[in-house]
Amino acid sequence: MAEGRRSSPPKTADRLGRMLAIVPYLVQHPGSSLDDVARLYDVAPAQLRRDLDLLFMSGLPPYGPGDLIDVEVDEDDHIWITMADHFSRPLRLSRQEALAITLRAAELLATPGLPEAPALASALEKLRDSLGPDTAGSGEAIEAAAGGRPAEHLETLRRAARRRERITIEYFAGSTGEWTTRDVEPEEVFSAMGNWYVAAWDVAADDERLFRADRVRAVTPAGVTFEPRGLGGAGRALYTPTGEEVPVRLLLRPPARWIAEYYVTVDPVELDDGSLEVTLPAAQLGWVAALLLRVGADAEVRSPPEAVEAVRDLARATLSRYR
Amino acid sequence: MEPLERLLNLVGLLLETPTPLTFDQIRDTLDGYRADNVDSAKRMFERDKDQLREFGIPLQLVDIDAWGTEQGYIIPKDEYYLPDIAFTPEELGALLVAAQSGGEDTRAEQAARKLLYGADGGVLAGLAGGPLASGSDARSALVLDCADSAQRRRRVSFGYRTSQGQEGRRVVEAFAMVFRGGHWYLVGRDADRDDVRAFRLSRFTSDLDDVGEGSEPPEGFRAADHVRAGPWAAAAEDHAEIAFSPKVAWWAVASFAGAREVGVDEGWIVADVPMADRRLLASLVLQFGPDAVVRTPSALRDEVIRRAEALDG
Repeated sequence: MAEGRRSSPPKTADRLGRMLAIVPYLVQHPGSSLDDVARLYDVAPAQLRRDLDLLFMSGLPPYGPGDLIDVEVDEDDHIWITMADHFSRPLRLSRQEALAITLRAAELLATPGLPEAPALASALEKLRDSLGPDTAGSGEAIEAAAGGRPAEHLETLRRAARRRERITIEYFAGSTGEWTTRDVEPEEVFSAMGNWYVAAWDVAADDERLFRADRVRAVTPAGVTFEPRGLGGAGRALYTPTGEEVPVRLLLRPPARWIAEYYVTVDPVELDDGSLEVTLPAAQLGWVAALLLRVGADAEVRSPPEAVEAVRDLARATLSRYR
Repeated sequence: MEPLERLLNLVGLLLETPTPLTFDQIRDTLDGYRADNVDSAKRMFERDKDQLREFGIPLQLVDIDAWGTEQGYIIPKDEYYLPDIAFTPEELGALLVAAQSGGEDTRAEQAARKLLYGADGGVLAGLAGGPLASGSDARSALVLDCADSAQRRRRVSFGYRTSQGQEGRRVVEAFAMVFRGGHWYLVGRDADRDDVRAFRLSRFTSDLDDVGEGSEPPEGFRAADHVRAGPWAAAAEDHAEIAFSPKVAWWAVASFAGAREVGVDEGWIVADVPMADRRLLASLVLQFGPDAVVRTPSALRDEVIRRAEALDG
C-alpha cells in the first residue's frame, strides 16, 4: 500500500493472504485497473499479474469449462473476474489483526489535531460492533489519551509531503528560542512523544532536520518539487547528535530522571540513592540552562564550567525581571 | 502445480461443499493431491491444512454422520466470511492511514486490506491527506501481547524499572492499554500493592509471562485516569497571569493549555494561564527564563523567584 516500499521475494502465505483479500475486491469492482489494485494492495503489478494467472487455473470441481474461475486482463489492463462467488467476501479478521489495527488507530488518535480522527473513531466502533467482542475485544481495553497541542498546519504539511513540494516555513526553534524562515522538503509526517513532527531536508543547511509541526507558524509553497531522499522519523530518536555538541554531565535526582528518558543521553551511571548521572550532548548551552532552570534542585550540572555558568546567568537574567 | 494454486483450490472446495469431505474425496477431486503415492499426498495435505489454519482459516474436522464413524473436512461459511460492514469512504481512508502508520508488524495492514473489498472507487482519493507515521517507543510484539492480555483479562508477570530507577518483578491483572504522549501504558491491578497502577511499556525489562486468570476492573474504572497526564491536562481552579516576551509569546502561550491572551504591555503578551499545580507551573514558566514573568498570584511569583535565586549561586 505504501508507495516505494521494497518487497522481498513473496512467500506463499503472503500471496495467499493477498489473493484472499484481492479477489473479493475484484468481484465487487469489475473492470478495476491493474495498477490501482496493485497500489491499493501494495504488490508489484507484475507479481499481481502472475498471481491472477494462477487463479485462472483454480476453481471448483468438476472443472468443466464453466466451473473455472475466469480472469481476464484486457488490453487496457482492466481486470475482469467471474465464477469466483465463493471468494466474493474476504476472510474474517483474526483477533490479532483486529487488535493490531485498533492499537495503530489509538496511537494516531492520541496525537491531537488529526483531521481523520472522527472517521477513524467511528470506523473502529463499526469494526467492534460487527466482529463481536471475541474478535475485537471490548472497547474499554484500549484507549487513546490525547494531550499536547494540535498543529495548525498539519494538513498542509502532509499534503506537501505527499506531493513532494518544497515549502517555506516560519519555524520557532526550541533550542535557540528564535523564529527562523527556512525552505524545507518535507518527506514524512509522524507522531512521537504525543506531538506531530516533520522529517525534512533543510535546503540552506543542506542537511536533514526534524521539525515539530506545532511550532510551524506559516507555510507557503516554494514553487518547486523535489526528489525524496528516503527521510523518515517514526520510531527513531528525535535527536541524533552530530558530534559538534558540548557534552554536559548531569546529576539527575529521581524526580528529574525523566530527562534521561526524554532526551538522548549517553554514559549513564546509576548511583546508590536512585540518582542517575548522564551526559547530555547539547547543541546549545542556552537550551540546557533552560532545562536546568525548569527542574531546579532536582538536577545539577557536573561539567563543563561553561554550562554551570550558563545556568547561573539564565537564573540571574530571570531574576532581573522581578527586581 | 504451485502451492498457492493448490491452497486456493482447497479453500474454494471446502467452502463450497455442502457436506464435509474425507481426505479420499478431496484427493479424488483436487489435482494437487492426485500424486501416485497416497502417503506423500496425505503429508502434503496435512501441511496445507496446518498452513491454512495458521492463517486463520476455520478449516474443521467434523463427524460426517450421527454415529461419528467417519469424519470429514469443511470450512463453515459463517465462520469464514467477514460480516458486511458499511464503512463510509472517509472511514476506510482513515483505517488505511492508521494501518499504514508504521511499525514492523504488518498485521494492521493485512486487516485493512480485508476491509477494502466493499470500498467504492473513492478509497484512493480518500487518502488525500497523505500518509502519517506513528511513533511508539515500545516493540510492537510487546504492545500486542499486553493488549491481548488486557482484553482477555489475564494475570501477567514482567520485569519493570520505575521512572525513579527501581527495578523488580511485577504481577499485574491486566485491565487496559492507554496511549499517551507517545508511550503505551498497561493499566491493571498490581497484585503486590493491591492497587491499580499504570506501567509504561518502554520501562519493561522482560517479555510478558502469562501466569493465569486475572479479574474484572473495579466499578467505574477509567483506564486513562490512571496514566498521569502532563500538567496541561489537570483540572485547574486557580489562574495565573504571566507576561511573555514578543520573542516567545506565540509559542509559549499556546504551550499552556487553556491559556488565553488578555492584553499587551510594551510589546509583551499578557496571558491568563490555568494553574492546577503551583510547583509544576513554576517549572514550566522557568524554562522560558527571562522571557516569561509571573505577575500574579504572588505565591507563584515567590516560588519562581525562590527557585531562580537557588541557582544564582
